[in-house]
Amino acid sequence: MSTTALSSSSTGSTGQPPPRRKAPRRPKPAPGTQRISPLRVIGLTVVWLFTAFNLLVLYWLIMAAFKTPLEIFREPLSLPATLFERGTPFRNFVYAWESAEFGTAFLNTVILVAVCSVVIVLVSAPAAYALSRLGVRGSGPMTAFIAIGMGVPFQTVIIPLFIAMSEIDLNNNLFGLALIYVALSLPFTVFLLTGFFRSLPDELEEAASIDGASATRTFWSIMLPLARGGLITALILNAIGLWNETLLAIVFLQENANFTLARALFTFYNAASYQSEYGGLLAGVAIIVLPMLVMYILLARRIITGLTLGAGK
Amino acid sequence: MTTSVVTPPASGHQPGAGGRGTPAAHVARRKKLFWPFVAPTLVLYGLFLVVPTLATVVLSFSNWRGAGDTPQFTGFTQYAQMFSDDGFQNAFVNTLIYITLGGVGTFVLAFLFTMVLRDMRGNKMVRAILFFPNIVAPVALGMFFGVVYRYQPNRQGLANYLLESVGLSAVKFLEADSVTWVVLGSIIWASAGFYITILMAAVDRIPPYLYEDASIAGASPWQKFRNITLPLTWDVVGIAGVLWTINAIKIFELVFVMAGSGTYAPPIHTWTLGIFVFDRSFGGTPAYGAACACAVVMIVLVSVFVVALRRLLRRDAIQF
Repeated sequence: MSTTALSSSSTGSTGQPPPRRKAPRRPKPAPGTQRISPLRVIGLTVVWLFTAFNLLVLYWLIMAAFKTPLEIFREPLSLPATLFERGTPFRNFVYAWESAEFGTAFLNTVILVAVCSVVIVLVSAPAAYALSRLGVRGSGPMTAFIAIGMGVPFQTVIIPLFIAMSEIDLNNNLFGLALIYVALSLPFTVFLLTGFFRSLPDELEEAASIDGASATRTFWSIMLPLARGGLITALILNAIGLWNETLLAIVFLQENANFTLARALFTFYNAASYQSEYGGLLAGVAIIVLPMLVMYILLARRIITGLTLGAGK
Repeated sequence: MTTSVVTPPASGHQPGAGGRGTPAAHVARRKKLFWPFVAPTLVLYGLFLVVPTLATVVLSFSNWRGAGDTPQFTGFTQYAQMFSDDGFQNAFVNTLIYITLGGVGTFVLAFLFTMVLRDMRGNKMVRAILFFPNIVAPVALGMFFGVVYRYQPNRQGLANYLLESVGLSAVKFLEADSVTWVVLGSIIWASAGFYITILMAAVDRIPPYLYEDASIAGASPWQKFRNITLPLTWDVVGIAGVLWTINAIKIFELVFVMAGSGTYAPPIHTWTLGIFVFDRSFGGTPAYGAACACAVVMIVLVSVFVVALRRLLRRDAIQF
């Protein structure tokens, strides 16, 4: 790959100067760049090696989930064989699924993540709209005040929250955890969505009001649909974050029946490594990673632009 | 203290209907929506973030051990004891290492990558692959690294297998004197993709003709980076730095699982502040006062770093 890029650039400059009339989307390197091509080769090599390494790691993880411990450590790069020969290729997954009670955990996680992500967006969207578009005095400082919440590590709030949740019997309770998830996800989501609402044009709102739409109606039928991209992005980002959340799940869930996937995996780790069940262990990792991988492959662009939007502008 | 931490983007121009000539009645009607719309967020935010944070600050001045114990307020005793505690000292140093060295490492790597990725073929795909570790649960990453770095002759993890297959000798990656650096490297590897993505999004907005002009003038890649990329992405670099600090301070599950067995806290020399808080509250014998004091240290540390970063990086944004 790198060689083709290079050779095309060198032929371009040894012959006639590159055509500069119609600007291509990615302009060919200008004549000057050719001088530093050795450096560029090194750079390209490093980038591709790094990328290849990431793919190797993913390959290793997925393959290892189908291997015996001996295979994992003796032949880490080969394809799995032993379990397939024995006719039980999914043995590790079955082991992990049963001994870690991933079945309940999976269901818990799916419901929790789905409900929480939707509620988070339902609560955040009106707030973000009000803070960014109503022009009420003090909305700027208020937005900043909420955004500061993104910088508060969860460790700072878990002890008082744990005491309070125990007082009102919401400890070791998925509803209680859902409340916490929603509340602690608000700063990021409001911050993300204010950015989206702010970027919408004023004219449509004005037109709606001239047509006699009420303020609430303007919000529901004009502004929310316009910010749909932002809302979906917020939904996805929160879903990923909550799917992977572990600390709060460890603190607020104590019973296996209530465990989320990340929480169950955390407990399973100890048992599996104690029994040298490395295949089962990595199958457990795969169970939590694969749904995210599928989602990522389907939605990579939206996830990436969303996170970048939240971070950048 | 932290009001300057996160200024909302473009808070300068509020695009409200205020002075734009819309009917005053309509504006007033819309403004009535403000409190109903904002209230649920503010209530939840107050109840679950602001009040608990204040409670943590108050509790940090007590010697409360946990449920069943009556807290007595002892001033700064908890802090004094904590600062002389081995676990805390290790945690503090490790966390500082992860924030500073990890930050420098990640950003240097990210910048090097942006220099190459900018006009590389297939860069969208490469970016997507590099980003992937960021959507994997840190617990899963930690467990995964635990197996990858395993040291056991004849049954080596992937890292040592690769080392041995090129003729090097295996390394005890997770031993006391190397584990911090191994964790550091793993964190940099796992998070680089996120910062590469953020920086590349900023780099993509730079008009290509600037680079073309620079090339015609014979600029080296370093000069292009120094005089085009860096100044034009400066504001994004600042935000990315803040994000790094926020994320690095709460590193917990990754280290907890990677360096330990999973159920109990890992050996003391691997601790981060997050692990210290967990160990003093829900891990071993409860000592809520000490845990709260450590949590306060975390908040102070975030604030100091973020304010310092914003001071250091304050520069007029260049319009283009």
